[in-house]
Amino acid sequence: MKNRKILAGPYLFWAMSFIIIPLLMILYYGLTDKNGSFTLNNLSQMTTPENLKALGLALLLSFISTLICLVLAYPLAMILAEKNMNQTSFIVLIFILPMWMNFLLRTLAWQTLLEKNGVINSILNFLHLPEQSIINTPSAIVLGMVYNFLPFMVLPIYNVLSKIDKDVIHAARDLGANTAQTFFKIIMPLSIPGIISGITMVFVPSLTTFVISDLLGGSKILLIGNVIEQEFKQGSNWNVGSGLSLVLMLFIIASMALIAKYDKNGEGNTF
Amino acid sequence: MIKSTAKKIYLFLIFVLLYAPIITLMVLSFNNTKTRSKWNGFTGKWYLQLFQNKDIMNALYTTLIIAFLSALIATLIGTAAALGIQAMRTKARTLLLGVTNIPMLNADIVTGISLMLLFIACRFTLGFSTILLAHITFNIPYVILSVMPKLKQTSKRTYEAALDLGASPSYAFRKVVLPDIMPGIFSGFLLAFTMSLDDFVITHFTKGPGIDTLSTKIYSEVRKGIKPEMYALSTIMFLTVLILLFLVNMTPDDPKVKKAAVHAPAGKFRKFSRFFFHRFAPAAIMLVIVIGGFVYGSSSGNMSGEKVIVYNWGDYIDPEIITMFEDETGIDVVYEEYETNEIMYPKVQSGAIAYDVVCPSDYMVQRMIENDLLAEINYENVPNLKYIDDIYMEMSKQYDPENKYSVPYLWGTVGILYNKKMVDEPVDSWNILWDEKYTDSILMQDSVRDAFAVALKSLGYSLNSTDLDELEAAKKLLIKQKPLVQAYVIDQVRDKMIGNEAALGVIYSGEALYCQKENPDLEYVIPKEGSNLWIDALVIPKNAQNKKNAEAFINYLCRPDIAKMNFDYITYSIPNSAGRELIEDESMRESNIAFPDISQLKNCETFNFLGDENEIIYNQLWREIKSK
Repeated sequence: MKNRKILAGPYLFWAMSFIIIPLLMILYYGLTDKNGSFTLNNLSQMTTPENLKALGLALLLSFISTLICLVLAYPLAMILAEKNMNQTSFIVLIFILPMWMNFLLRTLAWQTLLEKNGVINSILNFLHLPEQSIINTPSAIVLGMVYNFLPFMVLPIYNVLSKIDKDVIHAARDLGANTAQTFFKIIMPLSIPGIISGITMVFVPSLTTFVISDLLGGSKILLIGNVIEQEFKQGSNWNVGSGLSLVLMLFIIASMALIAKYDKNGEGNTF
Repeated sequence: MIKSTAKKIYLFLIFVLLYAPIITLMVLSFNNTKTRSKWNGFTGKWYLQLFQNKDIMNALYTTLIIAFLSALIATLIGTAAALGIQAMRTKARTLLLGVTNIPMLNADIVTGISLMLLFIACRFTLGFSTILLAHITFNIPYVILSVMPKLKQTSKRTYEAALDLGASPSYAFRKVVLPDIMPGIFSGFLLAFTMSLDDFVITHFTKGPGIDTLSTKIYSEVRKGIKPEMYALSTIMFLTVLILLFLVNMTPDDPKVKKAAVHAPAGKFRKFSRFFFHRFAPAAIMLVIVIGGFVYGSSSGNMSGEKVIVYNWGDYIDPEIITMFEDETGIDVVYEEYETNEIMYPKVQSGAIAYDVVCPSDYMVQRMIENDLLAEINYENVPNLKYIDDIYMEMSKQYDPENKYSVPYLWGTVGILYNKKMVDEPVDSWNILWDEKYTDSILMQDSVRDAFAVALKSLGYSLNSTDLDELEAAKKLLIKQKPLVQAYVIDQVRDKMIGNEAALGVIYSGEALYCQKENPDLEYVIPKEGSNLWIDALVIPKNAQNKKNAEAFINYLCRPDIAKMNFDYITYSIPNSAGRELIEDESMRESNIAFPDISQLKNCETFNFLGDENEIIYNQLWREIKSK
């Protein structure tokens, strides 16, 4: 059995070259200027009013969409866990299958749905309801985030809920707890690992997206992801871009720490 | 009863949310028009055209090959790693699993950027191999996390028992461990394949010129309107997978049925059908896709090895011309597109990719000359230059004083396109873009110089102003305008104006002509305060590897019949009278929008390069506007 460890060798090498070293590269670029000497200027770029605003807005929007995802996903996960349907077919249905239609196209389709003369407004018109104009507003971006990342919230919560021992719930009921009590005292505390994992799986990609804000925000709304993308792809200032990425990494590391604390055994894994 | 109905409704609503866009895309794939914003009757033509569209088919096969290879390699490395990790002590295991979590939890943008920095530092040419490496990297964790739980469930004792009974370790592994973890490996592979297929962000940062996956292809098409063939392709892919899954799930899975089936007379048939649906059909379809990909990929390469790397504006050439050029000269064209001058410049400047032909606008040509990025064109290799009218060569001296570096490609003006049904007053001034009547119905250009030109001109200043007070005033004006603006767009003006989404839009003259063809309610005007008169010119960067071929390509584009083909396709004005004479449609040939009398455009100016310093000021002010 001992030499089985060697099997992890190629992966170890791979992780070193393509996960660790690249992150160190960001660190290097983020802490140096164009001539390669040490500086903290790139990090302090985050505090310019424009970047601060982009970060603040990104935090706000990703917070809102995480909250909405949680509220939508929890009942869904409960219903599905109750039904005890075949797990693979369910994952496929909400997760894998949509991915075969490209992520950009799916998000773009929301433009067609939300536009002034779009599908939703045509339906509202038909029903003589007031038109909604949410395309190119922060609301549209939140919708795009919720739409894209909802499965990442449902799956971990579902995984945890379906593993809860039914006897524990029965015992609570036998001892006289009502539905609400059972939920708050038993089910919810037991599902914390799934919730935490779901929150990070939604929060981090929402915080850092530039595509969704690009497609649904009409280029009027800059999130921190857009700022970084532009530094790399348009402004060509890789040092500042790396510096800003480093600041973002703080939020990511915080999420990882949160997971490590609440989900020690990986119960809330998405897959 | 009420509760269960409520649950059903809830489930239904969530599925509507998740599947509404997918249904939309399917419907759009049958829409008989190029624009996304209106329904024009049912057609199946996009499905036929899809298979003739070389670009999309190439992107499809690149996507599939990368997904297949990266999933395969990731499955091998990941499964081995899972076996190894399981044998480790707790501390090492936690550490390694922590590292495994990084690509999953880390933001895509950070992962993509970090890999890009690595590849560039190692002098890897960005291209197919870098995308593949990146995809393997983010796929391995999915495999490990799928295999680990299955490994935990396998009992060590069975394996040890097999060893005790005399099996060699590898035999015991194959016969005992592998069958147990096979479902995990398989689902890991499937997950990796799907993730690779759907990835955009990481590919965006690690790809090079001339290679596109479906995602990056779509992203570059977003600005100019998605080709309907793309919807058709997505629909086909989606339905293929749906049918595959249906087949897999349709087979008799119930153990009772299985048992009965084996003993029943028809058992053999059942067994066969199970084998067929479960293993053979999915495997066969996969095989066809992948082998097709390799065959297709190898057949499209040109044997001569001669090539020219062209970096042009999005949708700025008739694709037929590229094919004709390749056929006539045997030179392979690697074609890539950009949306604005500002996106193009750093790419050429960084030298990471050696382009052979680029098509910057006037002021950008000047900037590239001043920063010594351009090679002198050897005009002996461009005899067709004689077809370019003198007046344009004269105009181009504004940015290329000695006519040494550039050949005019297309030209035009910037003006307001408005919808006669939504705007009843006469439009002759930029000021209408600040009229609150049209709140949320105005489309502005999403590029620094174009946006500032509108504001500066409406204030009566030069659009080449470097006066800080004037710029500050222009900034204030643009900020004031922002609440009225529906969106900042580039080529999307076209779709939105055609679809009656907006009343007024700032647009290039060539686009205006196209829009009028599609929607006769639209009218184009050059405001009286004056506007921008621009020329886009073909240049050769200094680090070009195939200068001869680049000159051949430029020469080809100057040929009158080719210029005429271009005009028919993209409706931008050509600086080529011989070509103009060939245009059959008289209304187009004599169009005031396409070929205005240049001497009449008194207030119009050409952009100048204002120096790197001022460039930074402009960008800074623009960012302030965008973040307001």
